Amino acid sequence: MKKILIANRGEIAVRVNRAAHELGIATVAIFSEADRNALHVRYADEAYCVGPAPAARSYLNIPNIISAAAVSGADAVHPGYGFLAENARFAEICADHGLTFIGPSPEVISRMGDKAAAKRVMQDARVAVTPGTDILESAEEARKAARKLGYPVLFKAAAGGGGKGMREVRTPEDLDHAYATAQAEAEANFKDGRLYLEKLLDRPRHIEVQILGDAFGNVVHVGERDCSVQKPSHQKLIEEAPAPVLSERTRSRLHDMAVAAARTVKYTNAGTLEFLVSGDDVCFMEMNTRIQVEHPVTEMLYGVDLAVEQIRIASGQKLSFKQKDLSPKGHVIECRINAEDAEAGFAPAAGTLGEAVLPAGPGVRVDSHVYAGCVVPPFYDSLLAKIVAHGKTRAEALARMDVALRETIITGVRTTTDICRTIIADERFAAGGVGIEFLPSLLHERVAGIR
Amino acid sequence: MSISWDEALDRVRQIVAVCVEGDAERLRLEEEAFSVEVRRTTRRAASLAAPTEFSSGAGAGVCASSAAASNGAAHALAEPVLLRADFVGIVRFSRPVVAEGSLVNEDRELAYVESLGTRNPVRAAGRGKIVAVHVIDGQPVDYGHPLFAVVYE
Repeated sequence: MKKILIANRGEIAVRVNRAAHELGIATVAIFSEADRNALHVRYADEAYCVGPAPAARSYLNIPNIISAAAVSGADAVHPGYGFLAENARFAEICADHGLTFIGPSPEVISRMGDKAAAKRVMQDARVAVTPGTDILESAEEARKAARKLGYPVLFKAAAGGGGKGMREVRTPEDLDHAYATAQAEAEANFKDGRLYLEKLLDRPRHIEVQILGDAFGNVVHVGERDCSVQKPSHQKLIEEAPAPVLSERTRSRLHDMAVAAARTVKYTNAGTLEFLVSGDDVCFMEMNTRIQVEHPVTEMLYGVDLAVEQIRIASGQKLSFKQKDLSPKGHVIECRINAEDAEAGFAPAAGTLGEAVLPAGPGVRVDSHVYAGCVVPPFYDSLLAKIVAHGKTRAEALARMDVALRETIITGVRTTTDICRTIIADERFAAGGVGIEFLPSLLHERVAGIR
Repeated sequence: MSISWDEALDRVRQIVAVCVEGDAERLRLEEEAFSVEVRRTTRRAASLAAPTEFSSGAGAGVCASSAAASNGAAHALAEPVLLRADFVGIVRFSRPVVAEGSLVNEDRELAYVESLGTRNPVRAAGRGKIVAVHVIDGQPVDYGHPLFAVVYE
């Protein structure tokens, strides 16, 4: 592998560029007309504009992306997360053009990417799954299924991710509307409006397990991450590892199930299995066949470089460590600084940054692509920076995070910096082990308090 | 609430139309969720080599070429319009090879962008004269790369 085309933008494009350069591999950036001055373009060895600002015509423009790889002489493609990262067809097209796709095989992507199919695979691997349905043909079928599962239930998009196409349904009266809106959202985001239903667990936590597999059949887990602090849209805001207040039995059960599932599908490269955990009850939710936004949490806790491992695995090398070499040290927490107005339902904010001062210090890592005066286009996700703090204990990690958030000065757009500070100062969060209902109810209390 | 891209495009079209009709230099539209500013820069032929740049996002300047295309006839010296690559690929000149001063029309294929084995022809929008050639045969180009500047009759 000599030259990698990075089919993404923002902080993850910068992150992959860093890993490639560290391995002495040249990089090719792609960008839309809205990202001409973006950092990922400036850091790469070469850069190609692949289309106008809307993602459908640029970062999802497969012909132009593949052509950029051909023209530049790239021999591999790293898809990052989002955009084409879990598009099996794209992985296949890369292979057809002699490009190494840095991720799992197209077959595994399509099996695990279709959430209903993934669930069947997990059942075969004896992984506990959430009770739910196959693909639904109509709202009427959904109504019958919901009655059988028992309310509350959750609509999910078969091709979904990032909280898109998801709708909670608490009563039968809300079902038709939820079906229609979830379908429309899924269709708009994934060009695939197929939905299925799942039983909604009681105040579950979102805990996921990072796995890595190589082409020689070696599979390791790199521990879990607790991503329970989620916006009302189900998008993650704060992640940490190890998951606090979790029995060692459940923790190792999660790790074992993740490894078993990965072995069952002969998984290669980096992937994540997401679980809902309620007490000691564990339900598989979905598998993400890509690097995740929150991967730095794991990297800091275990002292590994997942992006480098991804590249090594894709180029046919063995994993650079074994399970026994991996042990977590201390505690890590990550806050996502998004261009969003937390006071207005996390409405995305676009604009030009005035100042952009990002924190530093012992145990603090920042993954970001922003700089003072840079433009935050309205077309893409609103992530500006990930602030990651490591400590010997959870309390130390939280204290460091608080300092880091205080040092974060971003002007020009509204950001999630303040809401993150509020969350880490909250005594329920400080106690550890909150469920996914925590942030929505905290926001609710704040609104009620203001009134 | 943000507006959809289609809606945004409609607004841009409307504002460009108003700008052209009223012969305005600059027009700004601000709504709750959307703002756009259209500016027309009058250029002379000497500066035509400079590519017209889009600034990103809402508040984008609409480039001179669209205004010039509809307005050109009114000026003594028509403004050049840039033909740009719509595809990432390798630009190949068609025969006979055009050069500065070549007269062209909408039927003549000036070049094509070879992208993954497909041939994407580049043609002028009407009768005119090539006033600048921005690429050489066999050059890799990305989306929006300036290829030729044409002054239409």
